Amino acid sequence: MTRKLGYLALPLLMAATLTTEARADGETIAVFTKNQTNPFFQTVRVGADNMAKTLNAKTLQYIPTKPDSIPEQLSQIEDVVVKKPSAIVFTPVDYKAMVPGVEKINEAKIPVVNITDRSAGGKFLSFVGADDYSLGLETARFLLKTLGGKGNIVIIEGVKGSLTNVDRVRGFNDALKETPGAKLLASQPGNYQRLQALQVMENLMQSNSQIDGVLAANDAMAVGAIEALDGANRKAQVIGINGTKEAIDAIKSGKLLASGDYNGFAQGCLGTMMAIRSLRNQPVINEIVLKPTVITKDNYQPFDVPLEQRTCPTFEDAGKLGAK
Amino acid sequence: MTDISKEAMMPPRSFLSQDAVQVFYRLLAALLICAVLAVLSDSFLSLGNILNVLRQASLTFFIASGLTLVVLTAGLDLSVGANVALSACIAGTVIHKTGSPALGILTGLACGGLVGLLNGIMVTALRIPSFIATYGMLWVLNGLTYWYMAGETLHGFPAGFRQIGSGYLFGLPIPVYLLLVFLGIGTLFAQRTIWGQEIYAIGANPVAARLSGIPVARRLLLVYAVSGTMAGLASIIFLSRLNSAEADIGESLTLPAIAAVLIGGTSLFGGVGTVFGTFIGALILTLVLNGMNLLSVSANWQPLVTGIIVILAVWLDMKTRRRAQ
Repeated sequence: MTRKLGYLALPLLMAATLTTEARADGETIAVFTKNQTNPFFQTVRVGADNMAKTLNAKTLQYIPTKPDSIPEQLSQIEDVVVKKPSAIVFTPVDYKAMVPGVEKINEAKIPVVNITDRSAGGKFLSFVGADDYSLGLETARFLLKTLGGKGNIVIIEGVKGSLTNVDRVRGFNDALKETPGAKLLASQPGNYQRLQALQVMENLMQSNSQIDGVLAANDAMAVGAIEALDGANRKAQVIGINGTKEAIDAIKSGKLLASGDYNGFAQGCLGTMMAIRSLRNQPVINEIVLKPTVITKDNYQPFDVPLEQRTCPTFEDAGKLGAK
Repeated sequence: MTDISKEAMMPPRSFLSQDAVQVFYRLLAALLICAVLAVLSDSFLSLGNILNVLRQASLTFFIASGLTLVVLTAGLDLSVGANVALSACIAGTVIHKTGSPALGILTGLACGGLVGLLNGIMVTALRIPSFIATYGMLWVLNGLTYWYMAGETLHGFPAGFRQIGSGYLFGLPIPVYLLLVFLGIGTLFAQRTIWGQEIYAIGANPVAARLSGIPVARRLLLVYAVSGTMAGLASIIFLSRLNSAEADIGESLTLPAIAAVLIGGTSLFGGVGTVFGTFIGALILTLVLNGMNLLSVSANWQPLVTGIIVILAVWLDMKTRRRAQ
């Protein structure tokens, strides 16, 4: 029964694709992001839309309804291979598990740019991303410098085993290693969740009477840790990563020391730019790893602008933004 | 049907006392964990840490207490976490838009309760197995919340409202008072009211319950609505404690709540268990995490230890129950 329905749906689907293609005036860029829940990917999508608009192209957003779902992204790839957009801007929900999906895109000969998480395989015309390791390293360095190179530090880790967490925490630890005066008291899991980070912090404050610095692997956990500190009337310098709106507000009010900017907006902009440039036979940059920016009280202003009002970097800027 | 046949359906006295024995075993297990942690960590037995553990257990308990009633009827509510997320986001928006915490609290409770009622309608009127109905509801709620929030975070609530989750009264955190109140209400309702006893009877044998004149559908509706409303309450505590809400807070709340119910000795087959047991279940889960933080157990091992504790607790429960029978 379902099979028969499937056969019925197929010609309908094909008709639908044909009509959209005929109507399109600019190129259609399919943009794949991991989920609807992390504000970071919202910045990626806004960046991609912004750039497509500037270059007179269109975007089609593909987001798994279940966050980071591997099977769902795979079926979205099957969908997109049938619909054949002009190009694809792709964030794998899992850098290893999505390789077969990327190979399907390659087989269908749709040009594809990899953004955010570097895929473990497949052919891409360009990669645009940020480096979690140097982001963790630089943001932690800033905190340790603020503390005068000494103090008791705790790390609140993200989801164990996730690519972003492994590299960010490695960056934190390396910054600690080069600061002999600082002492790591504990490195505990908060799973990128605010509530878990708050509870971890409450617990750690019980066993440690003096905590001077908190290195959190994302902003939600950093803000959760600050709530715990406030609740206990204690003070510590806290950093997070992602540069979310909430983090910027907390930096403005002096509650959060800094947030490492993962620069989703620029990643969305530049990924889309490279895809469109390659379609128009213009030169592309094969690899852009954005330099880490540590957002602090001194430089938060450009990040305090609503996403929709920000402007994408130009191609000339793109070369300068990358650190190799 | 007469009242006499209703009386006949009540669980016999021995059932209740067996529950009491099970709760006693659980209390012993919790005390044992406390003793071990007290030996291993100097800071464990401090008053600050004990209040800390109680406050952390309260959020899991609020969700799990309503869930306990559902499980007592041999049902399951998988949508509780997603319900907390949606209710928190909607209540947060109402507080932001109107500036009235009272209105926000009412909206959060109403949203949670409404979701629960819909679950109840699916289970009773449409006769969808609760596992599937509430699993579907989980997706619907997630979809709504993700769409509504669009990757944004709500944050910054009035100081007065924040007292509910983070304030103190006579040295005790306010969520601990709420915990004691709902523990009392839940226990009294389940053990001392006719409705509570009917819920046990429905779980033990739904056909016999119906034949003896218990309005099964109405009681089930009530149970799911209570579960949803408790999720709504949890969303208010979450909002006021964390000063923010985002779409993805639900997932990590569902499994601990179910685990608390199971560790607490409520049987998935229905008819057996107590709200107090669920409280001990939430306490044990919280104690384990608290202990691992205090002892700086590596992040690698924490999920494994939690999993083993859950399995051990349920296994011990079944073993002692079999012996009792």
